Order: sequence, then structure tokens, then C-alpha cells
Amino acid sequence: MTLWHKLGMGMAVSGLVLSATLAHADDDKIVVGFATAASGFMQAYDKPAQDAAMIKIDEINKAGGLLGKQIEVVTADTKTDRAEGAKAGLEVIDKGADLVVVSCDYDFGSPAALAAESAGKISFFLCAESIKAGIQGVGPHSFSASVLAPVQGATMAEWAYNKKNARKFYRLLDTWTEYNKGICDGFDWMLPRLKDAKLVGEDTFKNEDASIAAQITRIKSLPEQPDAIMLCSMMPGVVSAIKQIRAAGITAPILNGSGVDGSYWLSAVPDLSNFFTPVQGSIYGDDPNKDVTAFNAKYKEVTGADPSSQYVYPGYVMIDVWAKAVERAKSTDADAVVAELEKMKDEPTLFGPRSFSSEIHHQNRGRYLIVETDKGKPRVIDEWTISEAIPVDYLVSK
Amino acid sequence: MAERASILSRTIATPVILGLLLTAIALLALLMGSGPFNQTIIDIFIRVILVVGLYIFIGNSGVISFGHIGFTCLGAYMTAWLTIPPPMKKMALPGLPGFVLEAKLPFWVGVPAAAIFAALIAFFFGKILMRLSGIAASIATFAMLALINQIYSNWEDVTGATSSVVGIPINRSIWPYFVATLVAVAIGYAYSISRSGLALRAARDEATAAAASGVDIPKERLRAFVISAFVMGGGGALYAHSVGVVTPDTFYLGLTFISLSMLVVGGMGSLSGAVIGVVLLSTIIQILRLFEKGVALGDTVLTIPNGVQEIAIGVIMIVILMRRPAGLIGNREVGWKGFRKA
Repeated sequence: MTLWHKLGMGMAVSGLVLSATLAHADDDKIVVGFATAASGFMQAYDKPAQDAAMIKIDEINKAGGLLGKQIEVVTADTKTDRAEGAKAGLEVIDKGADLVVVSCDYDFGSPAALAAESAGKISFFLCAESIKAGIQGVGPHSFSASVLAPVQGATMAEWAYNKKNARKFYRLLDTWTEYNKGICDGFDWMLPRLKDAKLVGEDTFKNEDASIAAQITRIKSLPEQPDAIMLCSMMPGVVSAIKQIRAAGITAPILNGSGVDGSYWLSAVPDLSNFFTPVQGSIYGDDPNKDVTAFNAKYKEVTGADPSSQYVYPGYVMIDVWAKAVERAKSTDADAVVAELEKMKDEPTLFGPRSFSSEIHHQNRGRYLIVETDKGKPRVIDEWTISEAIPVDYLVSK
Repeated sequence: MAERASILSRTIATPVILGLLLTAIALLALLMGSGPFNQTIIDIFIRVILVVGLYIFIGNSGVISFGHIGFTCLGAYMTAWLTIPPPMKKMALPGLPGFVLEAKLPFWVGVPAAAIFAALIAFFFGKILMRLSGIAASIATFAMLALINQIYSNWEDVTGATSSVVGIPINRSIWPYFVATLVAVAIGYAYSISRSGLALRAARDEATAAAASGVDIPKERLRAFVISAFVMGGGGALYAHSVGVVTPDTFYLGLTFISLSMLVVGGMGSLSGAVIGVVLLSTIIQILRLFEKGVALGDTVLTIPNGVQEIAIGVIMIVILMRRPAGLIGNREVGWKGFRKA
């Protein structure tokens, strides 16, 4: 054997032994496991929602805990990698997690959620907005803490119809992600339900497109100009699209999904007006619910910064509804807790009511605050709940 | 002149030692009995399969292929098509042919079928690509990877495009992966001592002389290409069953380069290098991850910042290649008495 060989074998054995040292949880604790990204690009999405979840856990612990037990948190880094995600899921389960919290995005969260599902544990996606993040794509113990993307599109369509008197809609889809398609799916579902509303045109672009000049020319050459433009897109490409639409002199209201919430990008489109976004809660300090503003202050105190977008909030909602279900089930047993969660019908939370059923572990209807950006200043102007829930069959078929 | 022992008896020690190494790792996983550790070992086994697959072609032919991860993608999707429960398939992948839509095959059928499918596709690609040499061949294989990736990222009805394909039965027992790894090592070994393997290595070292001695270089390369695609396809299928989700971007540049670097660091021209390279680098990665999480040494907890692992592994690879440009094992193979020249 050469030195290298010996060294290699030595390292192999020591590494394998070391990585196997895992802690096991005690029975007098309830364990929440976060199999989320602590590095890689998903961290930007996971960390804020996870911080919000920690705030709620802290509140519960200070108030005496859950079922008289303190909640303990264990974490494992998915490194924004699917194979690592599966491992992270198994790792938190090994550490005794009663609830497995997985990454915000369905693609990156599902390996850990599948690991939880096969171990018979409850999994919650931090903020995934696809119908797959739940029963349909993982299994009967999986939930998502956010509201489906189609609800955002449907909300904006119905609200603009009623409050902005919009009749002629234009639909502009960025085909990059499932999320974008989801917003437009919801819009498509709502539009035929609005009397006299019609689509005067539609087009697609790609998030990475530097120019959407061709699409803009087609909008401007329409025989009748739209009353509102449904823009199904997300960061980072959406900013350039908005800038180009406004620079071309198109002043029609732009309707969006929640993905454009936040003021961090507004300086790129100075004096943006007539721009509408649905949000679960306001980060601008003007939420109709004073407790949300108090939460924002708490968040700043804990993390040192204001919430950057509404995607912080689902983390808080998640722990809230799960803890209530555990209290009602008087146990952390997965099936019992799932049964209690499925009984929730318009369960009040800080960020709007939540419902789950044995058909859908996601929100196919939900209260949204409508944020208007006027001269570059976003503020809450209204709130809207779609008149009927989007049917599960429609969501699944998309 | 004394009669030389047969090539089999002179070289059999290599697969036996490598097999023992893999057995030791599998037993360790069994002893630990911990879920994530087991999954880590499964991950290492899959890596070994992929790198051995690369070795079969690259090691013997000397042609660097950037395209082999494409076969991994083919294998992963094939087993997904065959093993996902029909109701889920009809919902997510309605464009599949009827008999595939109705099929619900077990894991142990899906994986070999995936390997055969990858080998078949490799045969068609290889017929053309194997006539090329040097950098032209490498870039052509890269083009093949891009081609496969684009098709799988856009064929909505059949591959689900960029969305995750879920519902693949997950298998978390270490044994199927262990057995498959042994099979991959055995295939790699058998090929390298075969007539074709020998001819291909002769062509690698001295193309003109080999051709003059009657070696049909494109034909031998094609053989190695198809066999390695078989191994890569099987590895991809096993990956799919270990995680339960496949997407096209998993099988692209990231996986291509980490697998190639593991082969290069281990020693490109050696089966032992392929296996030991993976085991060693994976171990270092695990140790670094452990430190990222924090290791208690007495009263102090030693922690390195998140992300250091990726930097450190890069530095370690540079140092290894500086010290040993031909890789850790170079062109040698392990034997009972240390290393011998391959």
C-alpha cells in the first residue's frame, strides 16, 4: 500500500464514522425539522419564511409550549440540491422530527417531502404555490403553507373587473416557470366567469429575454387597447418587462402575481404607477390588521431587517395551523394531526383564513390584500377574496 | 521462456479488492442503521457506478466524453416511465405510448430496461460520433448532452419538460445499489481485460500502430461507448429510485463535471482510480459537511461557514492534481501486493 492508499482508506473510515453521529430527540419535546436550503440560491427564498416560522415557535414556547412540551428545532441543509434534499429530509426525521418543513419550491422541496411521506410524517412546503405541493404530488401527509398561484391570477382578474371596471384584458405570460403558468391558469379560469369580460390579446415571452419589443408592438397595434394587462411573470425578468411596457407609453393597469411584491426593485422603474399586486400581508406597515405590523417589527428585531416580501408570512402561518391541529388532536401523531388540519375551514390566521380538506392541502381560495404602486410608492388599497374556489379538477388538469 | 499466467489470474485481485472495499462500506451503513447515513452511502454507490461508467469509455479510449451524463438522464426517465403508477402517469405524462402508460413494472425491471435503453441510444449516436477523435469527439459528445437535455426539457407530454417527474417508487434499501455497484465494477473490469478493451487501450496509446496491427478503432470505441452507456443508464435509473424525483437539469453540466473530476482525481486510466477517487472525494465532502454543521471537540464546537465545503473540495482537487497529475492512482490498479501497472 502506498501512503496515498492508506490515507484514503483511513479517511474513508473516519469520515463514515463521524458522519453517523446523530442525536435522537427526547420524548418530552416536540421536534420540528427544517430540511431547507441554508446555502445555494434557494436560501434566499427559504431563510425569510423559516425566520418567520422560528418567531412563531418562539411565541409558542414562551407561552408554555405545545401540549405542555417545548418545541425543539432541528435543521439540515439541502444545499439547493435534490439528492441532498432527500438526505436532509431523512436526517431531520432521524433526529425525531414530528413535522418536516421543506424548501419553498416544489422541485427542490419534494425530495425531502417524499422522504417524510414514506416515513409517515407530516411535511409542509414553506411557500410552494403549485397544486403538486401536497396530496397530488407528494402524498396524503403533505401540505403547503402558501396560497396557490392560480388564486393570485383569479383574484386579480375578478378584482380588476369589479373595482377597476376592466372588461378588455390582455394576457402576457412568461413561460419560464410553473409558478408563472399557474398565475395565468387562474386568470384563464376566472375570465369566462366575468360577464362581458373578454381577452383582446395574448402573448408569451421568456424571463431571460432582454427585449420584449415585439410583444409590445403587438399590444400597441391591437384594434382595441386593453383595460388591464395580466402579467404572469416573476423576478428577475419581470422588472425589465415592466420597464419596457411603461417606456413604450402603455399606461394600462398591470396586474401581477405575488412574486413581484417588495420595494427592493422599484428604483429600477422610477415613478411606476397603476401597478397592482396581491399579497397575503403587507410589508409596507399599512396592513389593516395591526398585528401584522407588530409582526413586521418583531421580524426586524429578530433578523435585523424588515420583511423583503410577503413570502416571509407563510412560514408563520404554517407553524400556527400545525400547532393548532396538534393541540386539537392532543398528539403529534401524523394521521391524527392531518385529520385535524383537514377539518380546518376558514381557520383565522394573521394572514387571512386557511382551509384544508381531504381533497386539497393547499388554498384554492384565499383573502388577498391588493397593493397598488402609485408613483413608485406601494400601499394597500383593498382586499379581495374570489367569489368561488378554483375546483381541484381544474388545478390538477393544468 | 516460462509460460505467463493468464490475464485473468494476474488481474483478478483488482475487482476482488474493490468489491471488498464496497462490501465494507455497505456493512458500515448497515451497522450504523441511520437513515441519512444510509442515503449518503447509496449516493456514493451511485457515484461509483457513474464514474465507473465514464472510466469504461474514457479510461480505455482516452477520449474525454462530456456527453455521458446524457445517458444517465435517458436511464432515469426510462425507469420513471416504466415504474410510476399508471394514474399518475396519465396525469403528468399523457404523451407516452399506450402500453407504457398502462405499465407498472417493478424496480428491478425498470433499472435494467433503462440501462438497455441508454445503450441502444448510445449505439445510434456512437455509430457517427466514434469516427471522430480528440477534441472534436469531446465536443461532439457535449453536443449530444445538450441535445438530450433540450429534448427532455421541452417535450412536455412525455418528459414533463422542466417540471419534476414524481411518483417514482423510492427504494431506500442499500442492497440493490450495492449489487448494482458490484455489477458495474465487474463490467468495467471484464471490459478492460477483454480483447476489445486491450485493443482500445492500444489505440489510445498509439493510434497509428494499433490501426496498422488491425485494430478497427471506431468499432472498438463504439463497443466501449455502448457498454459505458449501459452502466451510466443503470446509474441514472438508480438515482431516480433513490430520490424519487427527476428533472432534466439534474443531469446536466453540474453532474457532468463533478463525475469527470472524480474520475480525473482518482486516475483516468484505472478502474481502481475510478472507485477510490469517488470514495475518497465523497468522504472528504462528508467530513466537510459535518464541520459545516458543527463538531463538538470537548467543550468547543468547531464550525466552518456554510459553503466552505465546495471551496475546500476545489482546493483539495487542485492540490491532488498538482502532486499527482495522472490522478491519485494514475494508470495503475490495486493488487494484493500494492499497485501494479494496468
